[in-house]
Amino acid sequence: MSAPRVLMITPDFPPQRGGIQLLAHRIAAHLRESTVRVLTLGHAEAGPWDRREGLDVVRVAGEGSHRADVARLNAAALREARRFGPDVVLCMHICVAPAATAIRQAFRVPVLTYMYAREVAASRRLAELSVRISDRVVAISRYTARIAEDLGARRVSLITPGVDAEPATSGSTQRLQRPTVLTVSRMTERYKGHDVMIRALPLIRTHVPDVQWAVVGDGALRGSLQRLAEANGVADAVLMRGAVDDAERDRWLDTAHVFAMPSRVPAGDRAGEGFGIVYLEAGVHGLPVVAGAGGGALDAVLDGRTGRLVDPSDHVAVAGAISDLLTEPAAAARMGEAGREHAREFAWPRIADRLQELITESAGRG
Amino acid sequence: MCGICAHTCDPAGDAVARMNAEIVHRGPDDAGVHVDPGSGVALGARRLSIIDLADGHQPVINETGTVAGALNGEIYNFESLREELLRAGHRLRSRCDTEVLVHLYEEHGPDMVHALEGMYAFVIWDAQRRRLLAARDRFGEKPLFYVARGRELVLASEATALTRTGQASSAVSAAALDEYFVLGYVQAPRSIFAEIRQLPPAHLLTWSQERPHPSVTRYWSPPAPSGEPTEEPFAELVDEAEELLARSMRGRLHADVPVGLFLSGGVDSALVGAFAADQISGTLKTFTVGYDVGGTSEAVPARALAAALHSDHHELVLTGSEMAVRAPATLARLDQPLADQAFVPLHLLAAQARREVTVVVGGEGSDELFGGYPRVRWMDLAGRMARRLPDSALRSVGAASRRLPAGGRAGRFAQMLATRSLAERHLGCVTAGRPGTRASVYGPALAPLADSDLARGWGVEQVPGRHAAADLMRLDQTRWLPDDVLAKADRATMLTSLEMRTPFLHRELGEFAASLPAETHLADDGKAIVRALVRRRIGPEFAKRAKRPFAVPVGDWLRGSLGATLGEQVAGSALYRDGWFAAEPVGRLLAAHRRGEADHSAVLWPLFSLGCWWEAQE
Repeated sequence: MSAPRVLMITPDFPPQRGGIQLLAHRIAAHLRESTVRVLTLGHAEAGPWDRREGLDVVRVAGEGSHRADVARLNAAALREARRFGPDVVLCMHICVAPAATAIRQAFRVPVLTYMYAREVAASRRLAELSVRISDRVVAISRYTARIAEDLGARRVSLITPGVDAEPATSGSTQRLQRPTVLTVSRMTERYKGHDVMIRALPLIRTHVPDVQWAVVGDGALRGSLQRLAEANGVADAVLMRGAVDDAERDRWLDTAHVFAMPSRVPAGDRAGEGFGIVYLEAGVHGLPVVAGAGGGALDAVLDGRTGRLVDPSDHVAVAGAISDLLTEPAAAARMGEAGREHAREFAWPRIADRLQELITESAGRG
Repeated sequence: MCGICAHTCDPAGDAVARMNAEIVHRGPDDAGVHVDPGSGVALGARRLSIIDLADGHQPVINETGTVAGALNGEIYNFESLREELLRAGHRLRSRCDTEVLVHLYEEHGPDMVHALEGMYAFVIWDAQRRRLLAARDRFGEKPLFYVARGRELVLASEATALTRTGQASSAVSAAALDEYFVLGYVQAPRSIFAEIRQLPPAHLLTWSQERPHPSVTRYWSPPAPSGEPTEEPFAELVDEAEELLARSMRGRLHADVPVGLFLSGGVDSALVGAFAADQISGTLKTFTVGYDVGGTSEAVPARALAAALHSDHHELVLTGSEMAVRAPATLARLDQPLADQAFVPLHLLAAQARREVTVVVGGEGSDELFGGYPRVRWMDLAGRMARRLPDSALRSVGAASRRLPAGGRAGRFAQMLATRSLAERHLGCVTAGRPGTRASVYGPALAPLADSDLARGWGVEQVPGRHAAADLMRLDQTRWLPDDVLAKADRATMLTSLEMRTPFLHRELGEFAASLPAETHLADDGKAIVRALVRRRIGPEFAKRAKRPFAVPVGDWLRGSLGATLGEQVAGSALYRDGWFAAEPVGRLLAAHRRGEADHSAVLWPLFSLGCWWEAQE
């Protein structure tokens, strides 16, 4: 059989930034035994970006709200499927389930749908529709797989996101002189655990007095987190860098001593960390990790080998784990090395190969 | 649980033993004194057994005898702290939270406070560094008083443990008395006694033999309020609050003795009750107080709530004649005066509950953290309107307000509008006109303070573009909550050896509440998040209850036999004889009140309560 033709439908794609954007791009770039066409939304800087990347990308002009743009993307998908003639439809988000439904009915093409975690609670109806019309759900962690199964999905495959195992080096190979704990995350959701880090800092300081906590990422919670740091007397140990470019982010990953993000499973029915790709990225840069023992982090961090999994609501346990790593550099370095090793298993070519198997199998059945 | 004391120069431990004897009611089950022979520093503790009934003797000393600690209160996260300490190589012998405290000090020094979740006041003596450390919890649930004289420092859970044992003079402070009359309570760091200081909430005190003077520092404050509206969906905020409250309840329901609930009929205790009913095994016991006079009984709504919670409900109906007998003696037992009208009823309810349970949970703190006081909304509105009006218009409003019926809503709002400063507006709201009566009721000893500015140091000012409400909520949380609400709760329950726990005063829940803008809290007639949770957990009919300012019929009582007692005080007490207050004008107010010509209970009740306390000091 010739290389299957895959129509990837995704509202999120570079040059827009974000986790799903990166995942969609790396899959499109690494599915070596498929012919992939990406159907996505327009972006002001898309032209030069698409030319540089050399991928087959069709963009639907986005002009209105995100909701209206997604509706436009759904509407355009059937027409694009007619033109492209896919063997498999790959939905990168449940919000394109209406398009997948129409294509499946019109052309009897198998559908694969990616699921993360948060989007399920945000739009339960679309999640249920996705499960109904998908021949297979691709879950990015065991945590997500359980969510999908709870929705009634019968065929769920676990394929984690990957990492660029050999990233462009930032040029900084020396760790900073000042002991530095790093978090890379937007400050938009409480469950990411920035507040717990702030409560942990005074306790870390009793063992490592000049510790600093650098936060890369921005968001609406930044102000209240800054005030929380002041209330707890640690504002002088907190460095909020805001949203930075990839080069600066990589520089922090190369020069910090510990990566910490004690994400917790959020309150209510909402889902938390789907996988926590940042933990693997920290591993790529040789950083030991402190993460919450729950949600997707359970797949990304090997407790006691690449880092420590702790109760993410217990700031004393978080402080204890971070203090240990900062005061025992040899053990921290060993964990960092193990993290680098562990991350290689998640290199994009390997991840894409696993998806390729699913696609080939589905295309054959279709 | 418990009461503690310490003395830095008490080699035989006698002074500490005497202080222990003055706070027996705080801990009737056990007493302990530890003296460090090398330094002569002594710690004492009285214990009410709640957890680890057999092995909880205090003070606790580490294996090497170098660190000793005494704790009043509860460390709710002591089990996870214990695990963390074991992981770090400490060896612990008991399941008692005070032992955790001692080892936590070894691990973190004074920064140990950052690990604690709970209600506490504690003292630690480090014999190696010859350093004493004392601390009070973040919201001010447990008290700690101290006196520093020369190179000596003496501390105790109650101020009178210091005065009655001769550790401090019982001379009162005129400034504290002025504050008490106007506000109804004494603000930390002051105490009613001139020589004694109160450690404020969320503060640390350190003292060492090398530098024998107390150094007091703040280790936490409620995060500053946000001025920006939040982008987070309201339902997610309610989820978050629910999760934190559930976590708080789990810690606060942990006890090896029976736990009950004070049910007021309002939304706060209702919500605490809903969580408690879910989390405890067996039937929840609930307790409510009602009255035989006035139309303000909480008993009826509480009964409906108790039915919804399927609790074993107990009602205390307090009669005027019982109040006449019990109030003077109860108020006399306070360590410093408190004018909160609910103190005596709460104490009598606590005494009834103590027959059934050793621990109660209550809804204290919700109003302050989640925006429950309607006055905050009104003051905020008045501030915004006043900024748009010219001075001449405000003067007219002020003049008109004096013609409107006193105590009426319109009159009070007009007065708020006519007051320029936010602090004065707040003072006007919470003091029921007492500042203005000072000139007439103060005797010569207090007269120089008749126009003192009590709002100085409050840090409240009207900042254009910012919600005044957020500042007012913070002010309530840092002043009124610890010095009135929590002092009342602690003394009312501890006087009868009952422990009260307050699930709303959970550190993370408090920080979460502070991270939200005032407008989120003040929606839905105030306490929007609490009401949403009540709707979710019990039912919409219980979420509607409006906040009522007072539910205690003191006006009626003062017209009856309590008025007669006050009359006797005015005629014969040293409070009037020594010139603190002026007998004649107070007598006139009392007579008018008893004849039913006017309601002067806002002035008379603080004087009555003070009079009862004063006589006990003589």
